[in-house]
Amino acid sequence: MDPVLIKIALGGVATLACIGLFFGIGLAMAAHKFHVEPDPKVEEVLHTLAGAQ
Amino acid sequence: MNGMNGLRRYQWLMGILLVALFLTGCETGHDFVKKTEFKDADKIVVIFAGPVDNAWATDVSNFSVYEEPDPDIRLNIKEAALGPDKTTLTLNFEAPLNQGEAHILSTTNIVSEGQDLGAATLTVKKLYFGILMTIFLGAALIQNFVFTKYLGLCVFFGTSQKRSTAIGMGIVFTTVMVFAGMMAWALYQFVLKPYQLTYLNIVVFIGLVSLSVQGVDTILRKVNPALFKAFGVYLVLVIANCIAIAVPLMLADNEYNAWESLMLALGAGLGFMLALFLMACVRERLELAKIPPSFRGLPIAFVTAGLFALAFLGFSGLSIY
Repeated sequence: MDPVLIKIALGGVATLACIGLFFGIGLAMAAHKFHVEPDPKVEEVLHTLAGAQ
Repeated sequence: MNGMNGLRRYQWLMGILLVALFLTGCETGHDFVKKTEFKDADKIVVIFAGPVDNAWATDVSNFSVYEEPDPDIRLNIKEAALGPDKTTLTLNFEAPLNQGEAHILSTTNIVSEGQDLGAATLTVKKLYFGILMTIFLGAALIQNFVFTKYLGLCVFFGTSQKRSTAIGMGIVFTTVMVFAGMMAWALYQFVLKPYQLTYLNIVVFIGLVSLSVQGVDTILRKVNPALFKAFGVYLVLVIANCIAIAVPLMLADNEYNAWESLMLALGAGLGFMLALFLMACVRERLELAKIPPSFRGLPIAFVTAGLFALAFLGFSGLSIY
């Protein structure tokens, strides 16, 4: 196969991996920074209710 | 001290004057030409700073006009007419002009009251604001994604039962669309295109939409819990909306720049919100109407959507600028 095409394909894989890594780390950091403590009471109340819907 | 203050004020004024000079100078390309603009479908109007010679101005062979991308194709001028004040020149063309493109108008030496003022190469273009407004209106009304492109129908029928739901979904969708659109523009222009990876457009854009949904979800949960409670349910639905992938693909196809992309995303979002709201108003009334049993629910909603689509055809000739 044409080496140029192989280069483009491999470059695509590498670039996409980099983009994915970059945004993944960004999201993880955002999730860490904007972390919200879940209220245990909400869970308990939901558990006690029938919960058909 | 006083002298210094005076000098500072002077510098200020000079700066403003320079900027003003630069802006006005940039506009046309010749000192003696105040303004150039399109008029009607087939006219270009040139306004000079002073009276020009009638014999020079009405001779068509003194002017040549072409569209900026195709310098080889000269446009045929039917006639040139000078206004009574001798400063307004109107060029009539044989065919309507493509006013989305900038036109280059070059003249032979301008003759004004016997003086030779040199040749001019002028740029005639629509105000950039007009182009942006055209994109915005095009996305919101003329080519409304729901009613003329039939995109995003599942979310459209799912969330248009109540007015409050419709508005909530519309606002969330517009927000996410603007974020995703701007990111898609940046990624396309600075990563995908330079590295010849445009065949990965769809994969990257889908990822971007889910990314911005997740980002908005995370941030909104902390920053404004009340808003999150009201709108959080619709956030997930945005991913299922096909408009969210159509907008990035369109702005990549048309090679839009940042502002044009923003206008397209905003127009798509607000157009979707308008469609949802209109539909919700009708469906709230349909709840009370007497509808044959076989039409109740979704079937009559589809019929209504079809009627809306017909009504939106009325926007097809709309242009403001």
